[in-house]
Amino acid sequence: MEKDKLNPMAVWREWFVKSEKAWSQALTEMMGDEKFSKGMGRYMQEALHSHRMFSEAMSQYLANLNLPSRSDVLDVSDRLGQIEDTLAAIQVELRQQRIQLARANSIANPETGGETAAPAKPARTRRPPQHQA
Amino acid sequence: MNKPAYHAPTKAQRAELEEQVRKSVERALSRNIPGLALQQASLELEVGPTPKEIVYTRDSLRLYHYLPMTDEVYRVPVLIVMSPVARGYILDLAKGQSFIEYLLLQGYDVYLMDWVPPRREHAHLGMKDFALDLIDESIAHVQQDSGETEVSVVGYCLGGFLAAVNAAVHSKGPIRNLVCFTTPVNAEGMALYKAWVETQAFDIDRLVDALGVIPGDMINASIQALRPLQKQANQMQLLNNVQDDAFVKASLRFDRWATEQLPVAGALARDLVNDFLRGNKLVRGEYVLDDKQVDLGKIRVPFLHVAAEYDHIVPTAASTDLVKLVGSKDKNEIVVKGGHVSLIAGGNAVYRLWPQLDKWLSVRSV
Repeated sequence: MEKDKLNPMAVWREWFVKSEKAWSQALTEMMGDEKFSKGMGRYMQEALHSHRMFSEAMSQYLANLNLPSRSDVLDVSDRLGQIEDTLAAIQVELRQQRIQLARANSIANPETGGETAAPAKPARTRRPPQHQA
Repeated sequence: MNKPAYHAPTKAQRAELEEQVRKSVERALSRNIPGLALQQASLELEVGPTPKEIVYTRDSLRLYHYLPMTDEVYRVPVLIVMSPVARGYILDLAKGQSFIEYLLLQGYDVYLMDWVPPRREHAHLGMKDFALDLIDESIAHVQQDSGETEVSVVGYCLGGFLAAVNAAVHSKGPIRNLVCFTTPVNAEGMALYKAWVETQAFDIDRLVDALGVIPGDMINASIQALRPLQKQANQMQLLNNVQDDAFVKASLRFDRWATEQLPVAGALARDLVNDFLRGNKLVRGEYVLDDKQVDLGKIRVPFLHVAAEYDHIVPTAASTDLVKLVGSKDKNEIVVKGGHVSLIAGGNAVYRLWPQLDKWLSVRSV
């Protein structure tokens, strides 16, 4: 550690870390200024407008080049999301089936609980430790 | 011109130098050379290690049940409502640094409402869907799955807002206890966001109409703006601690989580801007959702709010009114030193905060 203190870069980094909060606060206050807020709002509107214009212009150009546009990529992303949804629904269904099968088996073989019985659920009888109660 | 005098190193100095070089090389080799190791570590970082099963899914909701870790659990199950703008794995970051694992080891039966990135088809999901429908459906599934009628609800950040709104609307519902972690209710305490959205130049309707779903990068940038140099400071801290493997891994995990903010469904963003940031309706008692008055005073169940003293994302000024407004007789607030994330994933939370939460919740969970 003593050696690190002699490393000027480490010392500078340490100073930056310690003073970061004050610098960040100053910047945040600046960003909360009315002028900045208005400017940011206007910039966002302009960015949305140019994004739309650019997307419309580019989509035809990309189609001519036989390349996917952002919208096409989003379509693929949505499809993947839908597949993930389906997989999640299958997992839910499998869990339900496993629970029902385990219940049916334990009714059929009450002594063994059935070969495919799900792990026994813990009893809901826990009490807080004496010092907390 | 005289040359500076050169003194050959002594035998002892040479030996010390050799020893230092040997140690550095060994350390580098053991970590496959630091620079490469960092890259490799960031790819291999495993998050969310606690075993779980999926119980229910709808839209961008995933309801998970974590497998109990004790032979006996408390009667009342715990449902955690994660913020819909952040990934749920922050609650289960790594073994030994996991809020969920801690709860399981203390004997709670834990369910988590987690979110996947909403898609364009989810753009219409608003506050009613998140705070009422999805929480109601999740509670119903927890009741069915656990066999218990009562459920303790724990909300983190915006998840706490959703949970509090739900508890206020269904004041005679099945919620047994309500715990909110660093939950924003007073927009006056969120000065930067309020300043941004209050100018006429900020047109939330146009933004939502154009994008449908607000991209995660935009959410990330707005959170970064609350402390613009923090990321750089974290990187410098990482460089200063590059020889500490545990620090490097923890830092990379946090960094990964911080940059993976979830996109937000457009209707929810619109509701948050209009009703919360602009209207500040919850603290003014003017919030109406699905034709129902949202009155926090109607919450009568045992209530705990946990806030962080140095939270820059949800400052205490934005959250502290929650305790005042909630109508429960049995209500408490714990304010701990730390930041927004360290409450649920910080190294010290396991010693400082979580035992206090366990002490509060355990006696109310039987």
